[in-house]
Amino acid sequence: MTKSLHKLALGVAAAALMAPSAWAEDSAEPIVIPTHNWSSQVVMAYVIGGIFESLGDNVEYVPADTQAVYEAIRIGDVTISHEVWQSTFGASFYNAMAKGGLIDAGTHSAATLEEMGVPQYVIDDNLCPGLPNWEALKDCPEVFATADSEGKGRWLEGPQSWHGDLMPTRLAALGLGDKYVVKFAGGADAIWAELASAKKEGRGIITFNWTPNFTDAEGFVFIEFPPYKDGCRVADGGDGSCGSPKGWLKKAANYKFPKTHPAAYSAFAKMSFSSTDIGQMAALVDIDKMSHQDAATKWLADHEDVWKPFTQ
Amino acid sequence: MSLDRETAPRQPVIKCSSVYKIFGDNANRMLREANGNVDAKAFQDAGCVVGVNNASFEVHKGEMLVVMGLSGSGKSTLLRCISRLTETTSGDIHIDGEDLLAMSNRQLIELRRNKMGMVFQSFALLPHKTVLENIAFPLQVKGMSTKDSMTRAMEMVELVSLDGRQNYFPRQLSGGQQQRVGIARSLAVEPDIWFLDEPFSALDPLIRKEMQDEFLRLQGVLHKTILFVTHDFSEALRLADRIAIMKDGIIEQLDTPANIVLKPATEYVRKFTEEVPREKVLKIKSVMDPLDNTEEFSDLKVSQNAIIETVAESVLSEKKAVAVVDDNGNVVGSIHASNMLYILFGKDDTTKVGG
Amino acid sequence: MGYLKKHPRLAQFTLLLIAFFLLVAVVTPSETNVLWRLPSLLAPLPGEINAFAEHLMFDWFPVQVYDSELKEYEQSALLREVTRGFSRSVLFLIEFIREILVGGVKTIVAFTGWQFIRENPWAMWPALPWTVVISGAMILGYTLSGRGLALLAGLALAYISIFGQWHPAMETLSFVLVAAPISIFLGLILGVSAYKSRVVAATLKPLLNIAQTMPHFSYLVPVTVFFGVGDHAGAIATIIFATPPMIRLTLLGLQNVPVEVVEAGMMCGSSDRQILLKVLVPTARRDILIGVNQVIMQCLAMAVIASFIGAKGLGFNLLLALNQLRIGQALELGICIVLIAVVLDKLSLAWANKQTDYFADLSFVERNKHSLLFLAVFAICVVLAFLGSVIFKGGINYLYLIPHNKGITTEWFWQAGVDWMIDSWYSSLQGFNRGLIVNVLQPMKNAYLGMPVSATFLLVMGVGYIVGGIRSALIVGGFLLFIALTEWWDRALITMYMASFAVIVSVTIGLIVGSVAAQNSLASKVALLVCDTLQTFPSFIYLIPVIMLFGVTDTSVLIAVIIYATIPATRYTIEGIRSVPPSLREAGMMSGATGLQRWISIDLPLAFPHIMLGVNQTVIFALFMVIIGAMIGTDDLGQYILKALSDKQGIGNGLMLGLCVAFIGLAVDHLIHTWAAERKALLGLT
Repeated sequence: MTKSLHKLALGVAAAALMAPSAWAEDSAEPIVIPTHNWSSQVVMAYVIGGIFESLGDNVEYVPADTQAVYEAIRIGDVTISHEVWQSTFGASFYNAMAKGGLIDAGTHSAATLEEMGVPQYVIDDNLCPGLPNWEALKDCPEVFATADSEGKGRWLEGPQSWHGDLMPTRLAALGLGDKYVVKFAGGADAIWAELASAKKEGRGIITFNWTPNFTDAEGFVFIEFPPYKDGCRVADGGDGSCGSPKGWLKKAANYKFPKTHPAAYSAFAKMSFSSTDIGQMAALVDIDKMSHQDAATKWLADHEDVWKPFTQ
Repeated sequence: MSLDRETAPRQPVIKCSSVYKIFGDNANRMLREANGNVDAKAFQDAGCVVGVNNASFEVHKGEMLVVMGLSGSGKSTLLRCISRLTETTSGDIHIDGEDLLAMSNRQLIELRRNKMGMVFQSFALLPHKTVLENIAFPLQVKGMSTKDSMTRAMEMVELVSLDGRQNYFPRQLSGGQQQRVGIARSLAVEPDIWFLDEPFSALDPLIRKEMQDEFLRLQGVLHKTILFVTHDFSEALRLADRIAIMKDGIIEQLDTPANIVLKPATEYVRKFTEEVPREKVLKIKSVMDPLDNTEEFSDLKVSQNAIIETVAESVLSEKKAVAVVDDNGNVVGSIHASNMLYILFGKDDTTKVGG
Repeated sequence: MGYLKKHPRLAQFTLLLIAFFLLVAVVTPSETNVLWRLPSLLAPLPGEINAFAEHLMFDWFPVQVYDSELKEYEQSALLREVTRGFSRSVLFLIEFIREILVGGVKTIVAFTGWQFIRENPWAMWPALPWTVVISGAMILGYTLSGRGLALLAGLALAYISIFGQWHPAMETLSFVLVAAPISIFLGLILGVSAYKSRVVAATLKPLLNIAQTMPHFSYLVPVTVFFGVGDHAGAIATIIFATPPMIRLTLLGLQNVPVEVVEAGMMCGSSDRQILLKVLVPTARRDILIGVNQVIMQCLAMAVIASFIGAKGLGFNLLLALNQLRIGQALELGICIVLIAVVLDKLSLAWANKQTDYFADLSFVERNKHSLLFLAVFAICVVLAFLGSVIFKGGINYLYLIPHNKGITTEWFWQAGVDWMIDSWYSSLQGFNRGLIVNVLQPMKNAYLGMPVSATFLLVMGVGYIVGGIRSALIVGGFLLFIALTEWWDRALITMYMASFAVIVSVTIGLIVGSVAAQNSLASKVALLVCDTLQTFPSFIYLIPVIMLFGVTDTSVLIAVIIYATIPATRYTIEGIRSVPPSLREAGMMSGATGLQRWISIDLPLAFPHIMLGVNQTVIFALFMVIIGAMIGTDDLGQYILKALSDKQGIGNGLMLGLCVAFIGLAVDHLIHTWAAERKALLGLT
């Protein structure tokens, strides 16, 4: 209480002294950046934190659940989110925005795709001839069968919280319903574990994945479904027989952020990382086994040309 | 007897009049309706249990009253009424002339801190404290400094011969040793009134005997006013100045050990006395004749605390009366060989007893 | 028939089963048939709970709050400001302890402001060199207990430091050092008030039951909404989780204090407060210390889950490592969590058992020799740390702080182990996996889903009636009715199917392992130690290798559940059999019983009530883990609880789903408790 009173007094004095320019400088209060449990996101958090710090801002990192974070941004406990994936977090993002308190801070240039796909070796070993065209799936469900799929092929989808019944309806719409079943994994970890295990055995596997991601380095091929058109999904009134659109990767911020930290917000709004940038950040950790902080420091040092322009 | 000499003008240390303790939800109403005429059976049918039924007695300074009864007889309840661990349903209890039942919580705490000590059947030691800390506990509760209380506690440790074990925890001691701690703790504040609730019942017979001796030794030095509860009749006989025998909450008989043994008042009391070899439990004190200065004594002197059996043979071999002496060697009475014969072989109703 | 007459219970059960199968056969599956599925009358409830919570949080009792950053007044709600104030104070405590250990600026900020830091870059609290913390812990261990504890504390912390987990471990420690004392304190206070007041006890009982059976995931969303995200939110969730066992054990301990001890205290002239603080609580210490132990275990068991809502430290790093499939690193982090738990547990125990020597006439130096020693060590270590900054180049001062992941690591070893396991076991396990799924799990799941709701009620309430009469039947029926009226009945059936399969296997394993271990006191000790370790070891770690072997299938979930749920089954079996009076076992041996006969006719029946409590715990552990199994991939209540984290009405859904799980647990709990109590009375083991 005393602290805020003290600040109040200070604030009034300051406002009286230099009324017009009061907004020019960023507040010293820290900008709270969430960290989630995947490498590129954590490295990018430290990268963005580093950029903010170069502007003289204070930064704080807080681990947060990938879905619950949007509510936290809305309420103001977290300031920004820098990796809002369309298909996985779109729902939470828009829910929070509808309630008020969260703003859209622009889109990264990275072209993202979130889609079912197979590891590179499935193509190389010709486990299912004709892939990545989806039609090829009709002839080789047994390649993707698992212990609990009753002889059908299995699609390993993310948790239901990501896109609900999107994949089951797509299976049905494409006429694959009697040859394939959808299994919802509990989270990304489960998908990576299955992928790693399948790779050791050279087994066929169809799983939900996205790019840019660390799997890009080892090779991952997305299945080519009939192209996405507006309104082709069941939710939008279509029959669902289409693939995923090229997705966006957005940034979100608390509504006060532009007012409290105008300089930092301006940089954040300009920030746009490409697939290459994100891939590099992830690789430093996943391939080179650096710690996340070290990776961010290295990336910032090596790529001033990319991030300096954001700050101007 | 000692009683006769000490009582008359003094006020009793403990005075109970018509004390009732009834357990149950509507105990008060039941008691009012019973109009002082409590029938345990009728109360039980109404969901009440009679703990103490119309107990009235006095205990005088330096006297040891032993309350004897089987389990469920109400003896422990009576003790708890007098220590006010349970609230009495009706009646009056005075401690040193003060109305115990009217005392506020604070007065009661003061009374317990300064005047009362109590020993429990299950020892009731604090498991987390060492011997020393347990004994010092009542002193610290009073607010005595750590240093003083520890010094005093150490004296008590020596008094009950536990030196060398003061840093043991209760769980590391035998039953007898634990009860010594219990005794030391109850005596630490130098109370005037000493309550003992079956203190030796949980001990082995040999240890029990040893502890009784120890207890008598202590009482010989301390002269406390004692209320002692036991279910062991021979223990009562060994220790008591007077015995109160309880059954179903009622005091069946309250008298000296000798009178209890020799003149049981009720059938219930008689059953206890039947099996008791009186020469093995009675002391000379309880059968001696009052002091008659005209009498000529033999050279033999016997202690008033000697058990009859141990001196019977030598008394019988004397022609003259034998002088009975107290601990300091003063002659306090006499005993004749003829009288001794009565005690050993005579019938109850013809026995002449002292006191 | 004669046999049935002799065993009326058996007859009742037979009748019940016949009626159950009749209903299963007769009732037709149709959404409109109330005998098949009840209408989801409670479906609007989560929305209402949500609206209510949000109203409380954002609209109720509006207040104007001055935003010093924006320099304007803003509307907020009273409750929100209150909970945020509470959050800030918890966070301050955590940051304060954290910065003592690893340094930082937050504590200075709390007294000045961020602007001060910006203007005074020197204003930063330095970390304690890790050598100081280790020496401090060793001296503390030595003071409290002796050489053994000093060695344990030293080795454990050295492990943490050398393996490069110092920083996250100290972050976790700082949040445990706040959450655990608060839980212990709250537990003591509530336990004592429950002991003193029957009203409090009656109010607390159902709350405790629910708090202990509700999966932690389900209250993460409410906690974030009310308290925000960050270390404080993690600590608050942990406190909610860790306090109930403390309350329960405090109450139990107080109720077990012998009357005579209290009387002795009163006869010593203790005031009411002295009775409570000097007699009751210390005498109940055995149970209270078990409570403290439970709190510490629960706090560290929450280390991972708390990181979902912002707790920094080992838990978060562990999730990151798992996401990269770095099992070895996750394992090392998991070991750090276990080590912290063990050291804290032993230190708190030693502190509680500390003895004072009153007669040692000591000089100032002797009395304070440990503090003086610490000061000396502190000075030496600080000097060493300064020297270190000269010696070590490259910005890393190994004598000050070993940075995260710059220590040595055995990761490659574990990684190779996991690789070897998959290479050599995968194909041979596929047959087993497929057989289990096709022949056991799927038929079982379909059987559960094929039960008409009326048959389920008949069966559960019937068992309730047989075990505990009409009262029990109504209680378990009530629990079930709540679930049946939500939209998640089918999900709950799947949860029940997984939990019951896991419980059957866990209890079987637990009974066998426990019985074998109980034959020998050394084996018992070892087995109990393993149980303790597994209980704090974060279960998330074994999820990954299990998925690699068995895929995203129910088998994986069940294996993870069984590993966890076997802990209480084993523990209680050992404790139960070890507490069978030796005279009875000797009697058995003297009448010529073989080991097996003795086990069947003496050990098991006499240990039965205790073992049943173990089964009860097994059910609760299994339910917890089935919910965590949602991280592998399930379609039960757990998946929906996870989903609630992103739902629009997350608070309502999370809480309602949590209650569904809690009610399954409470129904089983009620049946087992009633039954065990009756058996106990029959055996005269009150």
